[in-house]
Formats: sequence, C-alpha cells, structure tokens
Amino acid sequence: MLDATPIALQRTRGTAAIGFGPGGRLAWLYQQGSAKVMVPRSHGATPEAVFLNTAGGLTGGDRLSLSVDIAPGTHITATTQTAERAYASAGGVAEVDVTLRIGPGARLDWLPQETILFDSAALHRTTRIELAEGANCLFAEMLTLGRQAMGETVRSLDLLDRRIVTRAGVPLLVEPLRLTGLDLVSRSPAGLCGARALATIALVTPDAEDRLPGLRRAFPDATASAWDGRLVCRAMSPDPHRLRRDVAAIVEYLRGAALPRVWQI
Amino acid sequence: MSDGDLLTLQQWLSPAFPVGGFAWSHGLETAISSGAVGDADALFAWLETVISAGSGAADATLLAAAMAPGADTDALALLAAALAGSGERAAETDAQGAAFTTAANALTGKDFPPAPLPVAVGRAARGLDLAPTTVAAHYLQAFAANLVSAAVRFIPLGATEGQAVLQRLRPTVLDTAARAAATAPGDIALAQPAADIASLAHETLPVRIFRS
Repeated sequence: MLDATPIALQRTRGTAAIGFGPGGRLAWLYQQGSAKVMVPRSHGATPEAVFLNTAGGLTGGDRLSLSVDIAPGTHITATTQTAERAYASAGGVAEVDVTLRIGPGARLDWLPQETILFDSAALHRTTRIELAEGANCLFAEMLTLGRQAMGETVRSLDLLDRRIVTRAGVPLLVEPLRLTGLDLVSRSPAGLCGARALATIALVTPDAEDRLPGLRRAFPDATASAWDGRLVCRAMSPDPHRLRRDVAAIVEYLRGAALPRVWQI
Repeated sequence: MSDGDLLTLQQWLSPAFPVGGFAWSHGLETAISSGAVGDADALFAWLETVISAGSGAADATLLAAAMAPGADTDALALLAAALAGSGERAAETDAQGAAFTTAANALTGKDFPPAPLPVAVGRAARGLDLAPTTVAAHYLQAFAANLVSAAVRFIPLGATEGQAVLQRLRPTVLDTAARAAATAPGDIALAQPAADIASLAHETLPVRIFRS
C-alpha cells in the first residue's frame, strides 16, 4: 500500500519584497511563504534590510523571489541572515530571482552572505540591480563549493548565477556564471583550478576609477579593474574561510563602513 | 555560400587586416607569466576553456546575433561592453572593433559607427552570403590563432607545435560556433573564472608586452 501512494514532494515557495521611502523610512513590506525580510534596529548611518529563507535552504523545484525598491536619494544596505544553502536536487532546479530597483541618486549595498553549493545542487539565480540615473551600487557575491569542515566534495552541479547591473535599462555589468560537474573536474588553467570558493565584488559609482589605486594600496594582492564608472574585483581560493575574510575586508574598505552585523567573520 | 564572400571574410579576419590583434593577449600573458600556461597541453586547455565556455563563446553568440536581419546592433554593442569583465578586455574589444569598422567601412562603402569587435564583424558580415555558423567559426579560429601566435613567442613552444594546438582546437571551434548560432545573447553563460582573474591581474603585472 505504501509504495502505491504517490509522494507529493513539498516544494518551497517564497516571496519577500521591501520598499524604502525618502530618508530610508519603510514604505512597504510584503512576505509570503518561506521568504522573510526584516529591518533590524541599526545604529549605522544606513538602514538595513535582512532577508531570510525560513526553509533553511534551497532544493530542486523551489522558487524564491526577493526584491528591494529604494526611493530617490536614499542609501540602503541589504543582506541575508545566513549563508544560503543549495542542497542536492532530487529533480528540477531551484530558481531564485532577486530584483533590486534603485531610484535616482539612491545607493544600495547588496551584500548577501555566501551561497553554499552542495553536491548535486541545481540552482539558477538571477540578480538584477536596476539603477536609475544617478543611482549607485556596491555588491558582493560569494559561492562556496561544499562545506569544507565536513570534507564535502562537489562532483555534480548545475549552477547558473547571473548578475546584471543596468542603468536606465542599459546593461553596465553582466556576469552570467555557469558551473557544471565538468568545470569541477576540469584541469584547465582558465577554469576553477581547484578553487572551492569564488567571489565578485563590484562598485558602480561615478568615482569608481578613482577608488582603484587606494584599493590596490590597501590590498596589494587584490585582482581588480576599474573603467567607465565601474570597479570590479574577483577572487577565488581553495580556502572559503580565507576568501570570506578577504571579501569582507574589501567590502568594508569600499563602503567605508562595517559590514552588516549578521555577517560574522 | 560564395567563394568571393568567403575570401572577403578571410581578408577581414587575417592578421594583416589593420585591427591590431597582435597587441592583445586576453589575459593569457598573465597565465604565461605565472607559469600556469607553460607548454602545449596547458595552452590547449586554456584556449579550449576560453573558446568553449568563455569569451570565445560569448563573442560568437554576439556575432551571430549581429548578423540577423534587423538585429539591434546598438543593444548588442552595449551587452558586449557589459560582458567584458575588465577594463583591459573592454579596451581590447573596443579598440579592435573600432579599427575593424574603419577599415571595413573604407572597403565596403558603409558608414557604420564603432562597435565591439564581434558586433562589428557580425554587422559587416550581414551582407555576405555566409551562414552565421561559418562566420563565427572563422572568427573563433582567428581569435585562437592570434593567441597561439602570442604564446609561441613567450613559452618554449615551436611554431609547428603551436599550429598543432590550433589544429587540436578545431572541434572546439566548430562546436562553439554551432552552439553560438543557436544561443540568444541573453542566454550567454560563462565558466572561465581563472581567465577572468588573469585578465584583472594583467593590469598590475610588473612587465607587460601585451595590452591585455
């Protein structure tokens, strides 16, 4: 009898959306399913939004949608409560959409904690940062392959992680990262080269090029470039903990402020 | 396909066409300098990744899209710039694209504005009786040949060994060109993390022969 019963797998759905008005006042907040967003009392200069996936991770078939809207001239920091976990998929792909709309003259620091990819994870995520004229952003994305402390090795993977920054609809930065099991076993010197963690940090501001010499003085090993109002820094490492510390230090340098308190370095 | 049009394409993609491809290494100089690429096998693996899963695949997709009738080449040019990933790569595709456009305009009587290289080549090739897959394959072959020629000058690799690497890349070139013609520009996806970082690191190499 038991084996005649079809098992309907529980899939997670979650939507969390938050809007900030002038001066960083909360304008609206919507949350449904496993996605939550909080505005913890912060003593910093800029209000923070903290997203949380109460399902504790993502697996095949899950759908998660997060968004932030920021009124003109307002500076907001948004992050995630914990590292996101993409677990092994028993079928299907977890789809995550992150849409961040930054009004004229406003600024968003999008600083999610890292995404940990477990063996056989299938995650397709698109992060869109839509800047209005005169809007700026800083973002950092870090991916970790397996949990190092558990000695996990990721062999199978279906990752598509698109990061897209536009200004008034015009693409400024497009980073569509695709990693599969083949990339993990590849010995190519242009590929992962044994890295277990990789990160991209990008600053889109009119003074991005002026920030590069200072960044290089402060972090001589940082690999970074700046052109046309964008500064991009990328890194990868066999040691996720070390990369996380490096990313945290560079992000703090670029924003001239401490990381959100939920980041525990 | 016409022989005359194929000769036109070969002329445009030849190292003699005044585009200045020899000045750019697309980050390969960093990998040679660090020792990551020091022999024929490593050079092959580097190029295989960059062509099939990296900038080569992205360029081939942009090129094929630019050849489509009524293609929005301005939008493709902006996407190409956004995909560049570093200041030097942006300069590499912009400078070569502008030089290509100037020379091709002079020969064809067209008046196209500058565009990143794959968009400029695809746009110019629209008038040729050649399939996008064919044009993309020739473009990738020229890209690979240029990087092989850069490599044989700086790693202990003979000219014939370099050509053997290029020949080994042929299935990769053909397969990437075929996939590119069937891929929408919005679906471009890349997996060349060490090449991306090498391109950034090139900016601070103590000794640089190439501009990227």
